[in-house]
Amino acid sequence: MGKNDTITERQLTVLIFVSLLSPVIRVLPASAVQLAGRAAWLSPLAALPAGAALAAFTRYARKNAPEGVGLQDMAQLALGGVGGRIFGVLFALWLTFYGGFVARSASERLLATVYPNGSASVFIAVMFLVALITASGKTKTLSRTAEVLMPVLIIVIAVVLLSAIPDVTAESLLPVTYRDAGKVLYGAVPIFNVLSAFVYFLFLTGHIRKPRGERPRRFPWLALLAATAFGVTFFTLGTLGDKLAISMENAFFMVIRNLKVLGVAERVEAVVVAIWIVTDFIFLAAILMIVSEIWRTVTGVKKRGAFVPPSAALSAGAAFLIAKNAFTLEAWSDILIPGINLILAVIFVPAVMGIGKVRRKY
Amino acid sequence: MKRLIFVVLALSLCLTGCSSGLTILSNYRRIENIELVRTVTADISGEGVNVAVCGTAGEESVARMYEKTGSSLGVALGELILLPLGRDAILSHTENMLIGEDMARERLNECLDYIERFSEMRLDTGLLIVRDGTARDLLKGLTGEDTPAPDVIAGLARNISKTGEGYFFTCREIASSLADNGCALMQCVRAQEEEKLFEARGELNIVPAGFAVVREEGGVEFLSDQETLGTMLILQKYKSRNVDLSLPGGVVTVSVDSVETKVEPVFKKDGSLERMSVRLALEANVICLKGEADLEDKALREAAEMELSRIFREAAESAIRRSRELGLDYLDLESILERQAPLKAEETLRNWEQVFPILPVEVEAESTLQRTYDIVDPPQDAKEDQKPWEKMIRSLKGS
Amino acid sequence: MYRTKKDPPAPETGEDAPVTAAAMEAVFAGCYDFETRTLHIGGDTKNPVTLCFIDGLVSGSDVAEQVIKPLTDPERFGSIRGAEAVSMALGGSVYVYTAKHREKLGEAAGDLLNGFCALIFDAERAAVTFEVKSQQRRGVEAPKEEKVVKGAKDAFVETMKINSTLVRRKLRNPHLKIKEFTLGKRAETSVTLVYIDGFTNPQIVEEAAKRVGRIDVEGALTSAAIEENIVDNYRSPFPQVISTERSDKFCMNILEGRVGLLVDGLPLGFLVPGTFSQFMKVPEDHSGHFIVASALTLLRYISVALTLLAPAFYVAVAMYHQEMIPTRLLQSMIEAHASVPFSTAVEVILMLLAFELLQEAGIRLPSPIGETVSIIGALIVGQSAVEASVVSPVVVVVIALAGIAGYTMPNQDMGSALRLCRFLLVLAAIALGMFGVAMGCALLVYHLSSLESYGVPYMSPFAGSEGQHLSRALLRRSMTVKRDREPELGTGDGGEAKL
Repeated sequence: MGKNDTITERQLTVLIFVSLLSPVIRVLPASAVQLAGRAAWLSPLAALPAGAALAAFTRYARKNAPEGVGLQDMAQLALGGVGGRIFGVLFALWLTFYGGFVARSASERLLATVYPNGSASVFIAVMFLVALITASGKTKTLSRTAEVLMPVLIIVIAVVLLSAIPDVTAESLLPVTYRDAGKVLYGAVPIFNVLSAFVYFLFLTGHIRKPRGERPRRFPWLALLAATAFGVTFFTLGTLGDKLAISMENAFFMVIRNLKVLGVAERVEAVVVAIWIVTDFIFLAAILMIVSEIWRTVTGVKKRGAFVPPSAALSAGAAFLIAKNAFTLEAWSDILIPGINLILAVIFVPAVMGIGKVRRKY
Repeated sequence: MKRLIFVVLALSLCLTGCSSGLTILSNYRRIENIELVRTVTADISGEGVNVAVCGTAGEESVARMYEKTGSSLGVALGELILLPLGRDAILSHTENMLIGEDMARERLNECLDYIERFSEMRLDTGLLIVRDGTARDLLKGLTGEDTPAPDVIAGLARNISKTGEGYFFTCREIASSLADNGCALMQCVRAQEEEKLFEARGELNIVPAGFAVVREEGGVEFLSDQETLGTMLILQKYKSRNVDLSLPGGVVTVSVDSVETKVEPVFKKDGSLERMSVRLALEANVICLKGEADLEDKALREAAEMELSRIFREAAESAIRRSRELGLDYLDLESILERQAPLKAEETLRNWEQVFPILPVEVEAESTLQRTYDIVDPPQDAKEDQKPWEKMIRSLKGS
Repeated sequence: MYRTKKDPPAPETGEDAPVTAAAMEAVFAGCYDFETRTLHIGGDTKNPVTLCFIDGLVSGSDVAEQVIKPLTDPERFGSIRGAEAVSMALGGSVYVYTAKHREKLGEAAGDLLNGFCALIFDAERAAVTFEVKSQQRRGVEAPKEEKVVKGAKDAFVETMKINSTLVRRKLRNPHLKIKEFTLGKRAETSVTLVYIDGFTNPQIVEEAAKRVGRIDVEGALTSAAIEENIVDNYRSPFPQVISTERSDKFCMNILEGRVGLLVDGLPLGFLVPGTFSQFMKVPEDHSGHFIVASALTLLRYISVALTLLAPAFYVAVAMYHQEMIPTRLLQSMIEAHASVPFSTAVEVILMLLAFELLQEAGIRLPSPIGETVSIIGALIVGQSAVEASVVSPVVVVVIALAGIAGYTMPNQDMGSALRLCRFLLVLAAIALGMFGVAMGCALLVYHLSSLESYGVPYMSPFAGSEGQHLSRALLRRSMTVKRDREPELGTGDGGEAKL
């Protein structure tokens, strides 16, 4: 990686935050409500400690790692050249596929909400073209893009959630008693799963420059992400009730469909859906960047640029072929994707980092 | 490479949408071709469904009605939107759906499902049941030369809360209630023939006709006006209503502008549920007086307040009675009990279906007459036995 | 007395050649404004020297009074010859405050082009040059392009010396350095680099000097010749150099830690590094009340969004997302559009083009006519277009709104770049609706984020500055409160100041 292409801890964290807003909306509130019912609005808060613990562990594990070393380098140090490369290839393949899934899900969301009877291929193609351009650029440029877009996204979600307040009813959210604790924790699993995706971004930590005394401050951002998840679940659940919310795949956008903003715009759904596509695009570009970064480290090539187009092509192929229809995609979304993600992000990565630590490799 | 991608992207963008023929997205519509649908009706027609819509193009254009019958609501609406010649009917601005009695009884879920699923429709669409006739006929009768039916219905939606005769439940509220309680309330309307006081209006007028209770499995029950009022009170949908109170000396018309409803469970000492308590706190203002009633008289005012309390209490009682008769908890008593005492009432909630029909519900109502505005009743000189200090207060009031 | 130069024999005319009258005449052969005259020092006919100058660049009376008169005075230069005469001329016997000893022909010729006259001593093969510049130059006036409401009204002029004097008067600091460079293979334009030594980040100074030194143009006669050669990404339409005709704005930026550039012949000062937020500021922000100034700054950011997005948003909504338009408004839009034969896409593009045409016509025509054309044109064309049902009134309103919002940009280069992007976003909206607008905006933000100016992220403090100084871009603090300097500029003291 070039000396020029460095970012700060904060920039990486903002990139993570903006990227993960995409799966937050995809997963919530349906997954949490299915598991926790009416108490699901508390699940994001319950997921936060687990997410924070994972963040703390990864921070501890790479505390002494030298500057310019990313997760792939750490894996190669921990597992040796061959083992580390297998680890890298596994993640690269998975993330290539995951990128396709992200693009396809975003396209299906567009079709289900504002572009009925359209073609998912158009959206996938455009998203990959734009992501290809951005992923071919520098990491710092993508991070800065995320930094600029973040306030816009926060303002949009805040306005949307505040506008939904009048429709929230207490009977849709209460009662919640201590007996619901189990359900709340159960509902926290899919949210923790979303939060844990931040470990993929550790592959980019080689780009981090460490100014004097700066420490990674992931927790406030994870808390903000959890607060966003809380807001989305709380207002959707409070407006639709648990049973109706479960029956809808894009319940959050269904709530938005009824919002009126000061009599100027009636259904702000199209705007919000379009703005939220930006998070999918950032996530997709970041995934392509991570994949090319892994291939660069695995092959020992100096620049990662050459790996971006083939990764994007493979990922786009996955997006087109992953599912014939929305039903199959839903099955992927409900079981396989979270399952694999949980194994790789929550078990594999900490395990490899732990091995490296035990073997005093960094 | 980046430049090449840029060029490809720019070209692909430029070549795709400059004309309707080349646009890649299916929901492109020329704005001038839009026929705006604001009201949809649905009636059973033989084995199928008859749908009618009232569409307008521009602000000045005449409202037009189109109708179509199909095997289902979706099929009929799908064919109907092709009817306006050379125009694209869009359902995104549908404010209300009028549903015929039979349709509501047999195929209400079809309407709800269509609204939830079809991305053009919105969940805050008001759903109304048309009594004593078909929805189509009502829509046709309402449509006048200069007064489109949707405007008339929108007027009713705005004013119904002021007269306290009902509440327009939205698709979201109905679907949510059906999912939670297995039943839901809907507003009923009926056509009323009225003299055409001005030429531009339609042949018919639309008036509220109380609430209906729809079951998830199908079926409709209609509530009387008193039961509708009671239901609104308990569900806190009540806004305002004018009520005549017969008192010694005359009839006082009061506007009941505020009702605070408290529904609470009352438990016995052993922790078991004794009853549900419904307390209504009403505030009213005198808006008209017929006769010579002395509203300065405290006793008379108390009598008026008692009369007012009685009317509203009886309304609430009748609503509860009817709910229990039907075995449908559309008043959300279970939800209230669950919310207020989730642990204490656990046993009761588990056996709710058995408990609900026999659960004692006590209704109390308390009214306060707040003001008579600037008029002193009866006039000052009619009072002969006034004390001097009372006279002084009166003169101050007068000034 | 003056004689016209005749074709000389071919003397040595290289840059380093010795200075002789013949060589100088050879250099300026064919220049009708090049004048030479033989003088006799101290009135002694055996003691001739050649005086040469460029007519028009020098002041005739100064030459006569301050150079010729003392030089031909027998009492002063009676029997003095050769090297002694040279040293006397340099030593103050000639009444000119700037005198230079030149032994190289190139240097002497350069002096002539800069308003000097040269006294060539053929025997010594050297010259003494005296600065006798003509005073025929535009005086300092109020700025014409950047309106001043409440502030200094001395704008830069075409003469660099005056401009540097304006700066010096405002920044009376011995550490204020004004370094001179000469640009252009043929035009040889003087450029100066202005910075405060020990305060301005030396890396930025060094980089600016390097880039200015690297400029390879025939002549730096236009601002683009400078700007495009010193920016990081010349392909980007977004301005990366702050250019201003206001000396107060120039000095304020120097005080913030930027490096300034003054070019002889251009009534502008250039400042680097240029960041997006800097283009949203006007010096009036520091003249008005800080709350009002903050509100106006916020308004400018809203204007950016409006000018960029309003037409694209309208196209997306009118073509694809009609559900967003309130019923009544949609009804009136349908009504208004019913008689328009063109699609929304064509209508908007036509109006945007018409707007640009009017604007361009207004700028190119002489000022009174130009203003009339743009105002009357906008009114009549808009009104007529609506009446003739070529466009619908809503489109006129949207395009006018976007246009007016664009005019609030303090920097016209920024306004032009935004106008260009507006077109692209409209195309994206035509093709893909709101999705296209979102993707277009994402690409635009990506492009802006990729820009850097002298190592400073273009989008700082919105990006790349740890998010700590966001308020600086959006709000102005009271002058009574100290605030952090811009960390990205890396100024010498790096502390707080009342900015």
